[in-house]
Amino acid sequence: MFFNSFHFAVFLPLVFLMYWFVGQKSKINQNYILILASYYFYACWDWRFLFLLVFSTLLDYFSALQIEKSQTPKQKKLWLWLCISINLGFLGIFKYYNFFAQSFAALFQSVGWQVSPILLDVVLPVGISFYTFHGLSYIIDIYYGRIKSEKNFVDYSLFVSYFPLLVAGPIERATHLLPQLKKRRKFNFEKAKEGVYQIIWGLVKKVVIADTCAQYANAIFDQYHSMNSLSLVLGAVYFAFQIYGDFSGYSDIALGTSKLFGIDLLRNFNYPYFSRDIAEFWRRWHISLTTWFRDYLYIPLGGSKGSKWMKIRNTFAIFLVSGFWHGASWTFIAWGLINALYFIPLLLLNKNRNNLDTVALSFNLASVKTFFNILLTFAITCLAWIFFRAKTIQDAFSYIERMVTDSRFVSQYMSIERYNYELWPLLVIFIVAEWSCRTQTEPISGRYSWVKMSLCLAAILALGVFSDYKEFIYFQF
Amino acid sequence: MQQFFKFILNVLGVLLLTMLLLDLLYTAVYHQSNDRNKISYLYQSEKKEYDVVFLGSSRVNNHFVPQLFNDQGYKTFNYGITRSRLEESALMLKLMVERNFSIDTLILQVDLNINTNDHSEAIRSLFMPYWHQSGVIRTHYREIPEYKAIQYVPFYRYMHYDSRIGFREMYASLVHKETNALFYDGFYPLLQDQRPMVAADLSKYYPKRNKAYEEIKAICQQNNIHLLAVTTPMCKSTVNRDYFNHIQKVYPEVYRFEDAVTDDKYFSTCGHLNKAGAIEYTKAIFNAFFKPKTKS
Repeated sequence: MFFNSFHFAVFLPLVFLMYWFVGQKSKINQNYILILASYYFYACWDWRFLFLLVFSTLLDYFSALQIEKSQTPKQKKLWLWLCISINLGFLGIFKYYNFFAQSFAALFQSVGWQVSPILLDVVLPVGISFYTFHGLSYIIDIYYGRIKSEKNFVDYSLFVSYFPLLVAGPIERATHLLPQLKKRRKFNFEKAKEGVYQIIWGLVKKVVIADTCAQYANAIFDQYHSMNSLSLVLGAVYFAFQIYGDFSGYSDIALGTSKLFGIDLLRNFNYPYFSRDIAEFWRRWHISLTTWFRDYLYIPLGGSKGSKWMKIRNTFAIFLVSGFWHGASWTFIAWGLINALYFIPLLLLNKNRNNLDTVALSFNLASVKTFFNILLTFAITCLAWIFFRAKTIQDAFSYIERMVTDSRFVSQYMSIERYNYELWPLLVIFIVAEWSCRTQTEPISGRYSWVKMSLCLAAILALGVFSDYKEFIYFQF
Repeated sequence: MQQFFKFILNVLGVLLLTMLLLDLLYTAVYHQSNDRNKISYLYQSEKKEYDVVFLGSSRVNNHFVPQLFNDQGYKTFNYGITRSRLEESALMLKLMVERNFSIDTLILQVDLNINTNDHSEAIRSLFMPYWHQSGVIRTHYREIPEYKAIQYVPFYRYMHYDSRIGFREMYASLVHKETNALFYDGFYPLLQDQRPMVAADLSKYYPKRNKAYEEIKAICQQNNIHLLAVTTPMCKSTVNRDYFNHIQKVYPEVYRFEDAVTDDKYFSTCGHLNKAGAIEYTKAIFNAFFKPKTKS
C-alpha cells in the first residue's frame, strides 16, 4: 500500500474515523487501533515479513529491559551488543549478504581463484533499514541512560511500527516519539488542517515533480551512451529533483498523516537545495538519518573533538556508512565517499558550521555570492547523484566523461518522445514555490490558502503522472 | 472535529470542482483539434467518401502509399496507426460508420496483429476525449474494467491515460502543434534503414480467432464495404515464416502478400518497409485488386 494509492486513500480515512471515534476515550484504545492499522499496512506488502517486524520489536523491547536490569557494566554491554548484533545480523543477511558474497568472489577471482558464491534468493523486507535503526537508537539510548526503558509493550510496538514512518522513515527517536504515545491525543483542528496541507504538498512533490522528472531521468540514464552533453547535465538535474520530490514528498505525506492522529514526527527535509555549502545541505537533507549517524556514530567516534585528521576520519566514516546504509552497491559507497570529499575543504577551513540561518537574497553583492554558492552546492550535489543513480561505478564515470567531452549543448529528442529540455518551466515554478515558503513546512497554509490548495490539486490532477506509476525510491532501502 | 469535517468536505468540493473544470477544458480543447492524430482527424470528419481506406498498425501506416491510388483516380486515406491492434482498427471502422463515411473497399492488415486479442493502451487513450459524445466509443468499451470510472468520474480518463492525452498533448492540441501523422494522406514513410538488419522472430506467434477481426468482417458486411484482408511483407530472414501459412488455415480469406517485396534493400527493419519498399508493395496490392480509373 503506497501513500499515493487508492488503497491508502480508503485506508487512511477509515483509520482516522476509528481512531477519533472508537478509540478517543483512552490512549490505550488509540494505540491499539494504530498498531492494528500499522500491522495491516505492513502486511499489505508481504505478511511474512510481519514476523520479522514483531521479532525485531520483541528483541529490542526485552533487551532494553535486560540492559536496565543488569547489575554490572559487563552484563549491560553484553545485552547491548547481543541486541545490536542480531539486529544488524538480520539487516546484513537480507540486505548485504549477496553483496559481500559477490564482492569476495570477485576479489578471489581477480587473484586467480575460482569461487562460486552461494547467493540467497531473498526479497528485502520493506523498511528494514528504517525500523532496525529505530530500534537501535532506542537500545543505545537505554544503554547510555538517556532514557528509561519502555515497560508497556503496546506503546513500544507502536513506536517501532507506527505506519506513517514504518517503511521509509523519518527515523524517529524514543525521546521524541514515545512521550507522545504515552498520553491520550486530543483532536486539534489546526494541526489536522496543517496535516492535510502537508499531504497535498507531498503529493505534488511525488506525482508532479518526482514522477515526471523520473521519466526524463530514466530515459537519459538508461541511454546515456547516445545522449549529448546538455541531456546528460539535465539528466543529473532531473534526477536531483526526482529524488528530492520523491523522498521529501514521502516525508511530507508521512508527517501530514501523523498530524491527523495528533502525533508530530521529526522533520526530515528543510529545503536542502537552497543550501550554501555541503555541510548545510547535510543539515537539511534526510535530517533524521544524518542526525542518527551524528549521534550514534560520529560523536562516539570523537566527533569534532580532537585533531583535524580525526574530524576528517570521522566524517569519512559516517558518509561511507551512510552510503552503505542506502544499499549494497559500490555506487552508494562512492556517493558517500564523494560527499565526504566535498566536506574536506570546509573542515580544513573550519567553515562547516558557517551557514546555520535561513538563506535570504536581496539586490546586493553579498546576495550574488550567496546565489553563486547555492548554485555551486547544487551542482556538486548533482554530480554526486550521478553515482547514486547509475547502475555501476563504470556507468557513472562513463556518464560524467560523456557529459564533459561530448560538447553538444543542443535540444535532443528522446526515446520517451519528448525533448530533453521540456521540464524546465515546471521546475522553475516548483523552485519559486519552495523558495517562497522556505521558512515554513509547506506553501499552502497562510493567506489565500484555498487558492493555493486549489492550484495544488489542479497540478496533481493535470500534471501528475498516473499511468506510469513509480514506487517511492526510498522503499528499496 | 465538526470544523475538520467541514474543512474536508470543502476540500473534496474543491477537488470535484477542479476535476469538472479540467474535464470541460480538456474536452473542449480536444474537440477543436483535428490535426494531431488520425483519430482526432477521423472524429472531426463527417460524410467522407473513400474508394479505399487502409486500416491496421505501423505495418499499414508505413506500408501503404495512398498517393499511388490517388494518382489512378481513387480517393484513399491511410488510417493505419503505429501500435494499434485490431481492436482499435475495429473501433475506427465503427467510428467511420458513425460519422457516415462512404467506403467502397477496406484494406485491412491481418498478420502479426491476429496473434492477439489484446488492445493497445496507447491508441485506446486517443479515443477517450470523445467518450461522452460518441455512443460508439462508449459501447465499444463497455466491457473494460475502467468503464464506470471513465463514465462517472470527471477527468478520470485524462488521468488514467495521462501519457497520451494528459496536459502535454492537451497543450499541443490547443496550439495546433504540427505533427506528421496526417502528411501524405496518412502514409508515414520510413527513411532510415537498420543495418545490419535484425531478423524478426515469429516463433512465439500463433494465429488465433480474433474477436475484433470478426467484428470488422461483420461491420463490412452490414455496410456493403468490400473487405480485403491482406498480409504485409516481412524480410526473408524472419524466423518462422510458417506463421503466415497458419493464418490462412484460420482465415482462408486472407490474401498473402508477405512475399510481395522480398529484397532486403526495401526494408527499413525486418518488419517494416522503407519508402521505396512501401511504393513497391502498394503497387503490388493495386495491381492485384484494382484497375486505374484515369491515366496517370
